[in-house]
Order: sequence, then structure tokens, then C-alpha cells
Amino acid sequence: MTTRLFPTQEIGSLMKPRWQLLGQRGEALDTAAQTDFARWNDVLHFVPGDDPMVRKFLGDKSREVGADTVRDWAALFMLRYFEAAGLDRVYDGEARRIEMYEYPIRQMRGFQFLGHVRSFDNKYYLKAAGTGEVRLDHPYHVDEFEFVRAHARGAAKLPITGPYTLADWSYNEYYLRRHEGWKGREVRRRAQREFVVEIARKAIRPTLAALIEKGCRIIQIDEPAGGTHPQEAEVVAEGFNAATEGLDAEFSMHVCFSDYRSLFPALLEAKRCKQWALEFANRDTDGRDGYEVLRILKEYGDTREVGLGVLDVHRDEVESPERVKDRILRASKILGDPRRIWVNPDCGLRTRSLDIAYAKLQNMDRGAALARAELAGPA
Amino acid sequence: MQTVTSLTGAFPRSQALVEATRDLDRGRTTAEAVQELFAQAEADVGGIEERLGLEPRAGGYLRWQDLFRPFAETWEGFTVGPLTRWFETNQFFRQPILHAPPARVPGAIGGWLPPKAPGAPHPRKAILPGPYTFAGLVDNRSGETAEALTHRLGRLLGEEVHELRAAGYSAFQFQEPLLVARPPEGARAEGVVAAYKAISAAANGGTTAVWTYFGDARPAWPLLSRLPVSVVGVDLSETDALELPPTSERRGLGLGVIDPRTSLVEDPSEVVRLARAIVERHRPISLWVGSGAPLDLLPWESATRKLHGLPAVRQGLESTDGGT
Repeated sequence: MTTRLFPTQEIGSLMKPRWQLLGQRGEALDTAAQTDFARWNDVLHFVPGDDPMVRKFLGDKSREVGADTVRDWAALFMLRYFEAAGLDRVYDGEARRIEMYEYPIRQMRGFQFLGHVRSFDNKYYLKAAGTGEVRLDHPYHVDEFEFVRAHARGAAKLPITGPYTLADWSYNEYYLRRHEGWKGREVRRRAQREFVVEIARKAIRPTLAALIEKGCRIIQIDEPAGGTHPQEAEVVAEGFNAATEGLDAEFSMHVCFSDYRSLFPALLEAKRCKQWALEFANRDTDGRDGYEVLRILKEYGDTREVGLGVLDVHRDEVESPERVKDRILRASKILGDPRRIWVNPDCGLRTRSLDIAYAKLQNMDRGAALARAELAGPA
Repeated sequence: MQTVTSLTGAFPRSQALVEATRDLDRGRTTAEAVQELFAQAEADVGGIEERLGLEPRAGGYLRWQDLFRPFAETWEGFTVGPLTRWFETNQFFRQPILHAPPARVPGAIGGWLPPKAPGAPHPRKAILPGPYTFAGLVDNRSGETAEALTHRLGRLLGEEVHELRAAGYSAFQFQEPLLVARPPEGARAEGVVAAYKAISAAANGGTTAVWTYFGDARPAWPLLSRLPVSVVGVDLSETDALELPPTSERRGLGLGVIDPRTSLVEDPSEVVRLARAIVERHRPISLWVGSGAPLDLLPWESATRKLHGLPAVRQGLESTDGGT
């Protein structure tokens, strides 16, 4: 456990390297993928370069390595990537998952994938409809957690998509169909609440219980859709509570790209949430106005930790350590207690190239160090 | 009463386009190859409109990254800003940042509109951002007040309408989700009226429609009733249109009967029953029927499946209307 001020953490997924995608598909690596693998391994040493399997992978027998080994290497790569960038809490960059929505939904029954929907620009996600009662095939993320736990040099923080987001990113057919008549706003809202709580109870909670059984202690429940319908913030909290009921772990909630003012105080009802991991850099200005919304926690007397987004995950511009420092210190001043702050990117960095994301994370670490030094004053 | 069924906003991208645009971002295909697929998908949308009798033709707005992007990228005064949630959806738009009073670039927006379908000419509808929603969702650093900006955008959109009218468009639909999500009051409401006066004057006999969605139209109804437009559309997933007071002025009513927030296909007979009751109450001179919010909240196949109910809805409504 870290005791220093402004500890750092990642939030979610990284872009999958080309060698992983090719390797998982059993395709031969092209020169660019080979070079990329070797270049990162020189930096991170995530696999022994003289391992015969690695030689095969980088030679003309990459197809013989197998998808499982490639996934293991990708998980190790991302783990070492975060560690080398200086982060206190790490995970595997969700190397084994197919997005944060599709993967968990595929572990459940009662869903049917319908096709791709645009999120923004040329970014899409595969969207399913809830067509039957929610059932869990088997707890998920357990194997990947055990792998991370076995290899991580520091604390592992497992991210898992929350029940509200899984429901909101799905079409709700089953629970909506149970309501008679025209499917207006109120009917939709009632059906949505049923959908969220069922996912929480039937799928997320048993998965969390299995993870905790295996030693998982720090769990980030991702609710990027948490701010989509502000009037449903109480349902987000209800889903969080249903998913974590009776479980003992350190839970945080990640919500991003939302009007946080509209979510509080309803979200405060998520009683077992120890940390709010939020996005700010995306909305920040030179005047550091993006962090002003933190005042809302003070207004409601909430004293939980804040996972402070200091890296904009949608722009290639690499934030300087000084800018990161300024953001941390501004937030620290607003909250009035620097010990409550964890430092992280706004969200997962998977939309950035691995080089850009790494440079951003390194500067995040440097910025946190600058902030620490500034608060400590002259030596 | 004339019953019109038409697309009311952006259509989803086809699976081929999804994959191609992703590949383009990852450097795995060329812009030319993607343009070909856009053209194919636009033709496919035109085919759907043809088969289902959707007219005026709108096209799919498949190339638009969001409702404002063509304006933010081509009109003067704007830059493209941060990713921002698009109302209560899992979609995001890049918020335009306005640094100075905006100025339109003649011909720029026309080039962004879906291409005309080959073959016999059909009435065409341009779908544009409404001035209130546009003004309300930009990051306005221009120094102009919100109401002045709304009015200015109304004048500029009016110039756009004038230009498009000359290019053969007969109908102009303005997307105004913000009017019902955050209804204006006082001077801002008057700015909206002034903006639509400018648009209406420029339409030169063309049909103008204000399309609202993502919110209950009831609070904004007094203002919507005052707007000098041919049609006001409401999203029936959000609005109980039977509770809207009938307006004194006879004009068209738009009903968003398809809800793109659910993949459940609407039952045409249920839609007809509801629409008949609404028509009975409001006695509109024309009825426009389509989706409430744009269909790009659905995958291509699901959107198409839901649209297939519209001909039955149209026939059902026309049969009660003596087949007119």
C-alpha cells in the first residue's frame, strides 16, 4: 500500500499492439509488428528475449506460438508498461478483453448482439439487446486477475464494467416488453431499473465474489454511462450497491464525460464506494477551470478519495509534467486535503497509440512528483 | 390531411462502413476506398427510402461525424472542441468552439448533404441543426450573448436554406433537441422566434420543420406553437402528445413514433391508434411521421427493421383519413 501523496493509477484499457492482434489470429507477424514487439521488449523486458517461443514469434514461425501465449505476453507487456511508467496501481490494460462491454456481455445469457453503433467519429461498439432473463455463465476476469496477481510487482486494481453501463449500452427488450402499452419515458425508466438491478445481482455480484475469493482487493467499477441520464443517478448507485452487497473489498467508481453536478447527491448513495475516479482534463482550460466541479463534493460534505483525471485520453498532445502538477495542486486546493487524491488519466488510454499513451503516463508520474515536491516545500 | 413518412436524422453506418472507417483511422485502408463505401451506403439508404415510400428524401447523413461538424469545420469563427456527451445517449460530439461571430462560407454545407439519388427526381429535405440547439451547445467565446447568437445563426441558416432552395431542396428540417431538453425563456425564447422568422422568410415557400427529441415537448409547447414553421415534430417516447394543448394556428404536426433507444420494433397498429388520437386532438393540416431521435442510435439492420413498419403506419393513418 502506498503512503506517498498523489499516488498514481491507470483507469482502463490500452490499445492492443499489432503483434497481439496478428498473433492471436494466428497470422504471421509483419516487419512492423516484429519491430514493435522487439522495441518494447528492449524497454520493458516483459518476456525473455532468448526464450525459444519468443524467437519463433519474431521469426518465421509466429503462427506456432498460439493465441493463449500471445495473450499472456500482451498482459505482461501492459503490466510492465504501466509499472515502467511509474504507476502505483496497475492492471493488464485489459489485454485479454474484447472491449469493456462486449466481453462481459458474452459471459452472460439473455443477450443477443445486434450490430455496431457509433459512439463518436469513427468509433463504434457492438451493441446487444437484453432479450431474456439475465444469467451468468460463469464468473469472468478471474483467470486474468490471477495472472496479474502472479506477475504484478505492485498493487493490482481490477477494472470491471458496472451494471448500469452494461444495461445502458444494451437495448432493453426483455424487461421493457414486460410492461404493457406505449413505451414512454416512465415505462422505460422502470424497465431500466429492473434491468440494472438484475445484471448487478445475477452477473456482477457473483463475479466480484469470485474475484475477491481469489484475493482481489481493489476493484474499480466502471460506469462510463453513469452520467448519461442524470435523473437515473440513483439507479447507478442502486446498481453499485446491489453488485457489492455483502462484499469486502476496496471499491471505486469510474464515471467520465458527464455533468457531475447533475449526478450528485444521488450518487453519494453508493455506500461501499471508497473513491470517485473521474474525468477532468478533457474539460480543462488554461485557467484550470475543469477542476472546479470538484467543489460539489465539498458542498455535500463527501470526504471520499478522488481519482483525478489529469490526462486527456482523446488528444495526442502530451501534457507536460508542469501542467499535470498544476492540475493536481488545483484539485488539492479545492478539496482541501491532498491525501484524498489519486492521479490517473481521464479514462482508458486505448484510443491513443502506445507511444503517446506511454509518454502521457510518464509525464503523469513526473507531474505527480512535482506536485509532491511543491507541497513538501524547499528541502 | 397529408401524411408524410420520412427519415428525420442521421442513419446508422453500414457494417462495411463501420469496418472501413475504423480501418481508415488505423491506416489500414485509403480515403478513396472509404469514399466508395460511403457512396454505396448512401445509395443503399436511398434504396430504403424508395422501397418504403419515405419522402421527402433525406438521405442518411452518413459522412457527418456529428450534427455540427460540417459547420464547425467549414464556417468561419469555429474550431472543433472537446468530446461532449450528446444528450442522454452513449454518443458524443465534438463541441464547436466559437471564437468570433460566425460567418458562413457559401456552398460549403451543400457539399456535405447526402447526394441526390439517381433516377426520377424526388422532393428533397435538408436536415440541419436548429439555431437554438446550435447556439446552446457551442462553447461560445465570441462575446455575443446567447440570444444574439441564436438570432445570428438563424439568419445564417436562413442564407443556407436560400442557397439550398435554389439547389432544389423543398423541405428543411431543423434538429432542436435542446428546445425540449432545456427550454428557453424570456429573451432567449424571443431569440428563437426571431431566428425562425429569418429561416422561414428564406424558405421561399419551402416546408420548414422543427424536430424536437430527447425531451418532453410540453414545457416548450407555448414557444413551439409560436414558431413560424410548417411543422413541429415531437418525440412520442418522451412526450405525451395527447396532453399538448391544440394550437390555434393550423399547421403540420410531426410524430416521432420510432424510438431508436430500443431495438423493440413498434407495433404499427399501436402507433396508428395513438397517432389517430393525437390527430383527432390537434387536427394538423399535415402529419409527418418518422423516428423521434435519429436512427443512428441503432445498428443498420435494426434501424431498417424498425423503419419497415412505417408504410403500414402511413396506410393505417390514410385509411382513417379517407385515403387522402
